[in-house]
Amino acid sequence: MNCQGKPELRARLAAEFALGTLRGRARERLRRWLRDDPDLLREVQAWEARLAPMAAGLQPMPPPPRLWSKIERRLTFKKPLSFWKTLGLVASGAVTALLVVAVLLPPQGAGVPASYVAVLTDPKTSHPVLVATAGRTDRALHVNTLDPAIHVAGRSLELWALPRGGQPKSLGLVPARRGELKLVAAADQSLGDVPALAISLEPQGGSPTGQPTGPVLYSGPCVKYW
Amino acid sequence: MAPPAQALDGSALQRLVARSALGDRAAFRELYQATAPKLFAVALRILRREDWAEEVLQECYVSVWRHAAEYNAGRAAPLTWMTSIVRNRCLDWLRRPNPEPLPDGALEDLESGSPGPLARLEGARDSAALARCLRGLDARQRQAIALAFFDGLSHAELAKHLREPLGTVKTWVRRGLARLRSCLELPG
Repeated sequence: MNCQGKPELRARLAAEFALGTLRGRARERLRRWLRDDPDLLREVQAWEARLAPMAAGLQPMPPPPRLWSKIERRLTFKKPLSFWKTLGLVASGAVTALLVVAVLLPPQGAGVPASYVAVLTDPKTSHPVLVATAGRTDRALHVNTLDPAIHVAGRSLELWALPRGGQPKSLGLVPARRGELKLVAAADQSLGDVPALAISLEPQGGSPTGQPTGPVLYSGPCVKYW
Repeated sequence: MAPPAQALDGSALQRLVARSALGDRAAFRELYQATAPKLFAVALRILRREDWAEEVLQECYVSVWRHAAEYNAGRAAPLTWMTSIVRNRCLDWLRRPNPEPLPDGALEDLESGSPGPLARLEGARDSAALARCLRGLDARQRQAIALAFFDGLSHAELAKHLREPLGTVKTWVRRGLARLRSCLELPG
């Protein structure tokens, strides 16, 4: 039982959920529906966008300084876990992708398989969207965009290396299909300490700041095989 | 130290969320400094207890840190996204299985407070259209929506507070929201 096919009821429930008057079991039920009803979710989000600016009517009130310390403590403790958990969520998809990749990808150089392989997936669907590979001494990353539909007209997708404990480093713009991105040094140096890659949405031509400026759309582990 | 909240517009906040998604803790701290006073005000108003508001905000920011990568800039402004997270958590908090009762008279205290936010909304730069449309509602519709949004009152609490039958209050909310929507969809 849900509210499919009853547009007026849907509209009313979405509005009341966003306003907050929908409570108790009705609220929980709607929350369950939201999980697999993207149209209803969009309707709720449209209401949240309409109503949230009301909060500007409240006098800002700085929380006590101890709050940040409490939050920060939990980031220190949770950050690596949650990061890897996020990647773990897509791991099953990634493993499938690796099997496919191992068969489909042409070997690099004279029959030597790539030693660095990254499979980036869409967190929503777990589908792999891009594979990047490099041999240990390669000075270029071989990029294969599996899903050309990831490209957005008028914007660029930028590929980032996420070094352990450092700032993201740009690897270049994601090619339409296949392409090579120059590495500043051999893969062993450029990717040796990079557990993951990510793709962010950027203005045409790439990030103007050298750091990601748009949302991170895809990510995945970068694994060294040999 | 981060600039004050007012100095950061939506796209600056978006950049901070994006960098937080990549594990940039300095960016996340900036995001916190820019948004926490606003969100603390939201939580405090609904929960009416500082310790609860602190606890809810702590959960919200940890959740923002963890889910920053799932934030979709195309769907919501960062502050809208975060405000919704906070309001939802506050409402969940109020319905925990062992609800600690509101302090006596908490609802009555609202009487003097509720016109405040609406009046201040008039002066806020980014919410002129919303303020205008709220002004266009019947007074009872406006009051019911404001009490629900700012103070987190349910339909039943609204009925009790406004001393009106439940059905009447539900109708005010429903009609008020419908009018608000059509007003906001009008150009200019």
